[in-house]
Amino acid sequence: MIYLDHAAATPVDARVLEAMEPYFSHDFFNPSAAYLPAKKVAADYEAAKATIAHAIGAKASDLVITAGATEANNLALNIVTKFKTVPSRDGSLAPVVTGLAPSFSVVTSENPRVAPFLNLVLYLETEHDSVRKVAERYGGVPIKVLQSGVIDLDDLRNKITDDTELISVSLVNNELGTIQPLAEITSMIREIKFDRLRRGVKRQLLLHSDASQAPSLIDINVARLGVDLLTLNAAKVYGPKGVGALYVSHEVKLNPLTLGGGQENGLRSGTENVPGVVGFAKAMELAKEHVNGNRKKYATWRKILLSELQGYELVNKKHTLDNFVVLCYNGIDAERLIYLLEEKGVYVSTGAACAASKGKKSHVLAAIGLSDSEIAGSLRITMGETNSEEQIREAARLINEAVTSEKERLRNA
Amino acid sequence: MPKVFVGMSGGVDSSMSAALLVEQGYDVTGVYMKNWSRDLPGMKCPWAEDLADAKRVAVKLGIPFEVWDFEDAYREKVVEYMLSEFKKGNTPNPDVMCNQEIKFKLFFEKAIESGADFIATGHYARTGLSSRLGDFRSAAARGLAREPRGDGSERRDPEWDDKSVLLRATDGNKDQTYFLYRISDEALSHTLFPIGDMLKPDVKKLAKEKGLHNAYKKESMGVCFVGEVGMKDFLKEYIEVEPGEIREIETEKVLGYHEGAIFYTIGQRHGLYISGNKGEVNDGMPYYVVKKDLNKNIVYVSKNLNHAEIWKKELHLKDIFLRSDAPEKVQVRLRHRAPLVPATFDGETLYFENEVKRPAAGQSAVLYDGEICLGGGIIAD
Repeated sequence: MIYLDHAAATPVDARVLEAMEPYFSHDFFNPSAAYLPAKKVAADYEAAKATIAHAIGAKASDLVITAGATEANNLALNIVTKFKTVPSRDGSLAPVVTGLAPSFSVVTSENPRVAPFLNLVLYLETEHDSVRKVAERYGGVPIKVLQSGVIDLDDLRNKITDDTELISVSLVNNELGTIQPLAEITSMIREIKFDRLRRGVKRQLLLHSDASQAPSLIDINVARLGVDLLTLNAAKVYGPKGVGALYVSHEVKLNPLTLGGGQENGLRSGTENVPGVVGFAKAMELAKEHVNGNRKKYATWRKILLSELQGYELVNKKHTLDNFVVLCYNGIDAERLIYLLEEKGVYVSTGAACAASKGKKSHVLAAIGLSDSEIAGSLRITMGETNSEEQIREAARLINEAVTSEKERLRNA
Repeated sequence: MPKVFVGMSGGVDSSMSAALLVEQGYDVTGVYMKNWSRDLPGMKCPWAEDLADAKRVAVKLGIPFEVWDFEDAYREKVVEYMLSEFKKGNTPNPDVMCNQEIKFKLFFEKAIESGADFIATGHYARTGLSSRLGDFRSAAARGLAREPRGDGSERRDPEWDDKSVLLRATDGNKDQTYFLYRISDEALSHTLFPIGDMLKPDVKKLAKEKGLHNAYKKESMGVCFVGEVGMKDFLKEYIEVEPGEIREIETEKVLGYHEGAIFYTIGQRHGLYISGNKGEVNDGMPYYVVKKDLNKNIVYVSKNLNHAEIWKKELHLKDIFLRSDAPEKVQVRLRHRAPLVPATFDGETLYFENEVKRPAAGQSAVLYDGEICLGGGIIAD
C-alpha cells in the first residue's frame, strides 16, 4: 500500500498508541471523581493539555478540548451569538441567549438570512465546510482568495465593517496546502481595532484560524500568529480521531455549545476523553519535534514527484505545505484515476474527501479559478509519515501508468 | 458493435449486468440516474455512495461512465404522483411509476438520442418476441428468450423488430416484472436484461469471482428514496395530517386515535395505537384496518380477519396497460413476489376463483399468461 492521503487521515503513531493505552482499562477513572486514583487521572489529563498548549505557545487553561476540529470550529464561530448569564435554579450561572441567536431555520448560501449586522462574520471562501456552514448560519460573508489560493487582503479590508466581529482564515488550506499570511491579517486587524477605539466603537474584532493541517510542518505560536482562536485536530497529526482543541485567548469570552457538568471551564461539558487527549499530547509533541526534518523530507519528495510525473499542470505552485501536491490532468476524470490507482494499492484523493463523496465540485478549486474540467481532472496527493522515497518514486510511476491508460481509453472511444 | 447504455445503481445486479454486456462484446456506457439526493431528517440519502460504487465498477470494467440528472422529472412524475395518491387515501407504488416515467422513458429516450441501440438494467426480467409467444405460453420456457449478442456470434434476430414481450425472470424469487409491467413497447423492444435468466445467488457468486467489490453490498429495500426512514416518516415531511378517530367497524365504538388516516392501509395490522380497558377491546386479538373514511378522517378496524372489506372475489382496475390482448383466463400477481392467483379478466374487472386478501387501492394488479407478463392495472377501490 502506498498511502498518499495524509490530509484526510493519518494513522495513529505507535508511540501515541502506547501513551494512550493505560487510560482505557487501567486508569479509566472519571477525572471529576473524588478518590485519589481519579485525581491522578485528572492530573495526567491536565498535564496532557499543557503539553498540547505548549506546542502552540499557550497555557493549558487557554485550551478547550473538543471532539475534533469540526466541533472546535463550530464553537469558535458561535462566539458571535450573545449570551448573558443568569442564576439558574440551583444558584449556578446559566447562559441565556439574548442577542443574535443562531437561527435554526434553513440558511444556505442560496438563501441567506438577512443578517442584522453587516458582515458580522467574514471567512475565507476556501475554508472547510465546518467553518463555511456555520458562518453562513450567522450571515457570514466570504473573503476572496487570489489565484494562488492566498487571501486577497484588499478584499478583506473592504469587507470589514464596524459590525464585523469575527474573521476566520485557516492557517493551511486542507485541499491545497496553501499557507495563509496570518501575521499580515493580524496587523490589519490591529490597525482597525485602533481606529475603532479612536472612534469609540466598542465591538470586538477577533481572528480565528483552523490550523488542523499545520502542526507537522509549521511551528505554531499563537502569540506570533496573533490569533484569538485556533483550531487543532489530533487526527491530522498521527493522533486519534475524534479529538480536537480550540485555543481561546484569555481575553476572549466564548459561548458554550454544550452544557452539563461544566468541564473545560464550563465551555464544553462532557466527561473528559482522557486517552484521546493523552494521545493528542504525544502526537503534538512528536509533530513539534520533527517540524524541521519533515519540511526537508517533504520538500525533497515533492521535487521527486514533480520531476517524475508526466503530463500534469501543478495547481499549488507557491505558499504551500511541501507535503501537498495538487495536480491537474485536464481532460481526464481524476475520480477514475482514484479507482484505477486503488487497484494498484495507491490511495490518493480529489479535492477534500467529503466534497468528493457528494459529487459536488470543489469550492476551493473553483475559488482559485479552475474551470469545471480542470477541477474534474485534479488529483490531491498528501504525503506523510507512512511514505518513503522509494514509495514516492513508485507512486509516480503508477500514477503515470494510470494516466496513460485513461488517455488511451479516451482515444479509443 | 451495438451500443448499450446500462443503468448502474451501484448495486450488484446492475454491476453484474454491465460486466456481462462488456463480456458479450457490446459497446457499453454506464449511467447513474440521479433521481433523488435529498437527505431527510435522521437519514442521509445514500446517492453519493451509490454513485461512487457504480463509477468504481465502470472504471474497473474500463467503460465510460456518466451521471444523468433526472431529479426534477423524478420529483414531478414519481414523488408528486405518490404524494397526491396518498392524499387521496390510496397506497401508490412509486417503483412502478419510476420505471414507467424515468428508467424506461427519460433514460431510454436520452440513451437513444445519444446513439444507443439498447438500454440495459439490472432487473430480474426477460424479454422475448411476440412471434414466439407460443414458446412461453406454456410453463417453464426457460432460456428461450433470445437477445442479440454483441460479439456477433449470434446475429441480430431477423424477427427482432417484431413486438417484444415481457417475460418473468428465471429466478422466480426475484422476478421484478411486477414493477415493469407498464413500460412502453418501444422501450421494451430496445431493452436488455442481462441477468434476467440468472439466479440471484449465481449473480452474487459471479460478481465475487469477478472481483466486483459490491458483491456484498446490502440490498436496498423498499422505495429507493424513502430508504430506511420508512414511508410514514417520509410522508410526514410532505403532507400535513390531522389526527382522528379509530373506530371498530361493527360497533362504531371509538377505540383510539390515529396520527393521520393516510398512513393506514386496508388489511394492515401494525401501528394501531388502540387504548382501552384490557379485556374490553384489548383481549390480545389483533385489529386490522378494514376501511378508511377520509372525509370524516376515521380509520375503521376490526378483529375479524375474515371481514368482507378485507377479502374480495372481484377487483376493479383503472389505468389499465396491456402489452397484448389478454386471454380471458389469466394469472394475477397482487404484490411483488406474491404467488400468482388464477382469475378471469373482462378488460376491467378481475374475477378471482378464490377470495384474495384485498390489496390497497393504488397498488398494481399484474396479469400473466404463463411466463408472459401481459400488463396490468391499478387497483381502483
